[in-house]
Parts: sequence; structure tokens; C-alpha cells
Amino acid sequence: MKLCGAMALLLGVTMLVSGVVASARQSAAGGAAVEAGGPAVLSADAAMAALGRRLFYDGDLSIDGSMSCATCHGQRHGFAESNRSHPGVTDEPGRRNVQGLANVGRRHSLTWGDATIRTLEAQALVPLQGENPVEMGMKGQDAELARRLGANACYVRLFEAAFPDADGRIDLAGVTRALGAFQRTLVSDDAPADHFMRGDEGAISAEARIGAALFGQHCAACHAGLDYTDDRFHHVGAPDPRDRGLGEATGQARDDGRFRTPSLRNVAVSAPYFHDGGSPTLADAVRRHDMAFSEVEEAALIAWLTAMTDQSFLENPRFAYPDEPCEVE
Amino acid sequence: MALLLLSLALAAAATPPPTPFSSPASCPTTPIALPEELAPWTAAAPLAAAANVDALGTAPIAIGVATDLTLGKTGEVQYALRPERPGGSVSHGGMAQFTVTRAGLYRVALGNAAWLDVVADGKGLQSVAHGHGPDCSGIRKMVDFHLAPGDYLLQIAGSGTPVVRVLVASVPGK
Repeated sequence: MKLCGAMALLLGVTMLVSGVVASARQSAAGGAAVEAGGPAVLSADAAMAALGRRLFYDGDLSIDGSMSCATCHGQRHGFAESNRSHPGVTDEPGRRNVQGLANVGRRHSLTWGDATIRTLEAQALVPLQGENPVEMGMKGQDAELARRLGANACYVRLFEAAFPDADGRIDLAGVTRALGAFQRTLVSDDAPADHFMRGDEGAISAEARIGAALFGQHCAACHAGLDYTDDRFHHVGAPDPRDRGLGEATGQARDDGRFRTPSLRNVAVSAPYFHDGGSPTLADAVRRHDMAFSEVEEAALIAWLTAMTDQSFLENPRFAYPDEPCEVE
Repeated sequence: MALLLLSLALAAAATPPPTPFSSPASCPTTPIALPEELAPWTAAAPLAAAANVDALGTAPIAIGVATDLTLGKTGEVQYALRPERPGGSVSHGGMAQFTVTRAGLYRVALGNAAWLDVVADGKGLQSVAHGHGPDCSGIRKMVDFHLAPGDYLLQIAGSGTPVVRVLVASVPGK
């Protein structure tokens, strides 16, 4: 099959970024050094990622203990979820669909509608302390958060190992740094689509190969690069009076209705779709772009989108709830 | 060509925006009508949940009868299975048991968003559906399971409140 220009561009990006992926994977898997004759010692970076993983799954990051990051970001859904949106601890309705976290460390923008949030550390404050809507309800609760975490001996040791320069101080900044460190380990590059993009044509079905070509022609301008997003904000349909999108953050009318292009990694397991979760199936999501594909083309596109599912990422025990003993003795 | 493709990719959305949930402020002051299987939800008897499997005999719940379960602190509960979402140290949890005499579809309704597992023979059962309760009903969460006759353990974990209303109901015709 001859790839179109956009697909060739994707392949080029693959070559450039593969080194970054390899580096991140090494960091996620490694980080433990063995002192001669002694126990394994975590590097500060590895301790920070391990700490972040535990925090990611800990309900103590919400005011009533009921919600953790993983409440909405479930691994089997690519760290997204199957609901249109998720109410917070006060049952205030969620406003936007939860986005997946595969390769989130590569993202240059991190929310559906705010281009100023460009780091994982800054993003973490949105669910933790945000009030529009309230999600985890921890605004003004920094001291309570430190108290809860400080009562856990494993956290005390992990903070000490992760932040030696701060004498293991437990605070909100350390929490967000650790959450960011863990999320940067969430590397996905083992989907059939990845193997296809690296040159293994047999990794996907003939139908999916047709879908890949269609995708390159019609979708890859925005769903660009290895993670199928340009990280930019685009107009998607008429402005929604209940959600201005980027316009809400900028105050500019021209930004109303602009939303960030979502990554399509693991898209087949992260329904529903779009910023409002208003498209329950991949077919609905494809049609919502109003691009008039034939039934055969739509099926091919969906086959290609399904090939973006990285099963090993969804099942990787290093990303799962940490059942094992504390990483630091 | 690229501009054309971009404009195609960003074309108008065809799907209508979602309908928001009803907020308590917008709910009527009189109780709303509930489906047959959920009708018992409005009147509940209190019960202390079990904090470990040895105490399950003290926490029986009946099918079709709502119960206000008093839960323990999460750190003091020894679950039969580690819940997928155990909740934080400030959350609450506990267990109860119920018996199914007729195979069918059963709905577990909760008054909050706590995590729930139905356990049989030491294994957590796969749910077949989940969702919210009817607007303004006070039912925050419903999870459906296909159950055969037998004894089951209900785990509730990560509750943001120390008391949660629970109803296990047989879904008519299923």
C-alpha cells in the first residue's frame, strides 16, 4: 500500500519520537540501583514515579476520600472512562468527557479548553482544587492533604526518597510533581497501529489499512502524529451555550466552540467521545465530523481506530493499582 | 488540499449536546414515582455493615428491602477481595450478605457513588450494566448483575459518607 502524505508525515514523526519513548520506558522500568551488598535503592526519580502511582490511586486526594484520579482515569479504558462525564464529590455534574492518559507526557496542552495549562503539574490542580465544577473538592485543604499523607508511613518514606532536597516535605507541590512523574511513565507504543506505522503491514487487517489511508487523507491534519493529536484547539460545530470551550478561558468570542483535539490512542476502549461525551460509539464520533464517508469507508476507519488499542498498555501491571509493598523500606 | 482536509475534519457536529443531570435544587419536594423494582428505596431499616467476613452473619440484607448501612472506617475494614477502588483513609466501607433464590437480573442501588462488588465463591462478579438512578430519586448509582441462586457478599468501598442506603432488587422480567 502506498501511504498518502499525511501518513508519511506520521511515519517520520514515529522515527523522531521513538527515542523519546524508549527513554521514558527505560525510566519507568528502571530507576532502581543496587548498592554493592545492600538492598535496592530507588533513585529520586523512580521514587517520585512510585509515589505518584500510589497517589494516583488514593482516595485521600479527595475531600471525603471517595475519589482518586483513577476513579475517572481507569486503566482498562486507556485511563479514560465509559461515562459521558463524571460527577465530583459534591455530585455536581461533570462538564466534560474524561480524556485518556496514554503518552500524556508528550502533550503540549492538557485540557479540553484551556491552552494555558501546559504541564501535568498544573493540570492536576484542575480536578484536585477546581470549582467549575468541583471534582475532588480539595481547594483550601493543603494542610489536610499533608496530614492524611503524613499519617501513612509509606508516603513518608517515598516523599523522603523522592524529594531529598526538601527533606521529604509533604505538600501539594510534591503531590502534583509525583502525579506528573507517574503519568510520564504511561507510555503506549505497542498497538497494532504502532507496529504498522513502524513498517509491519501485517500488524493490521486489510480493512484497517484502507482505514489508515483514509485517516491520513481526511483526519490526520488535526489527529496528527504518533498520538493522533495536534494538541491544538479547533472549532467543532456551532458553539455550545453551556460550554464555550477555549473561549471560556480566554474570554475571546472567537475562541468559543474551540476544543483541543483529543488523542486517539486506545480510542476504541474509551467511549463515549467528544468533549461532551455526546457520541456513544466510534461510528457516532466519525459521523459527528460530518465528512460523508460511505459505509465501507466508515467501517475501514473504525477498523483503523480499533487498531490503535494497545492491549499491553491496558494490562500493564506497572500502571495498575499498587498492591505490592511499599517501594521504600 | 490541506486546508480543505482541515475544514472537513472540523466540520459541524451533528450530535446534540448532553442533557445535564437534575440537581437537588431542581427536584420536586414530593417524592418521585420509582420503577417497581426500586419502589422499596424510600423506606429503609438501619444495619451495621460487617467489617470482616467473620462478621457477615450480623449483616444480612434482603432482596427488595432498602437498608441504611452504617459503614466502618476504610482502614478498619478487611474486605473479602481488595476493591478496585478502596477509597482513602477518610472514607468508609463495609460488607453485607444476601441470598438469591431465583436466577435473574439483579440491580444494586446505592445512595452515593461508593465502589461496590458482588462476590461469590471468593470471586468478584462482572457487572452487566451500570448507571445513575432516576433523577431526584436519591439513587446515585445502580449496577446490574446476572445472579444464580446462592449466597452473595456485597462489598461497599470508598464511601464518602459513613451511612449509605443500599437496595438489592430483582429486575422484573429479566
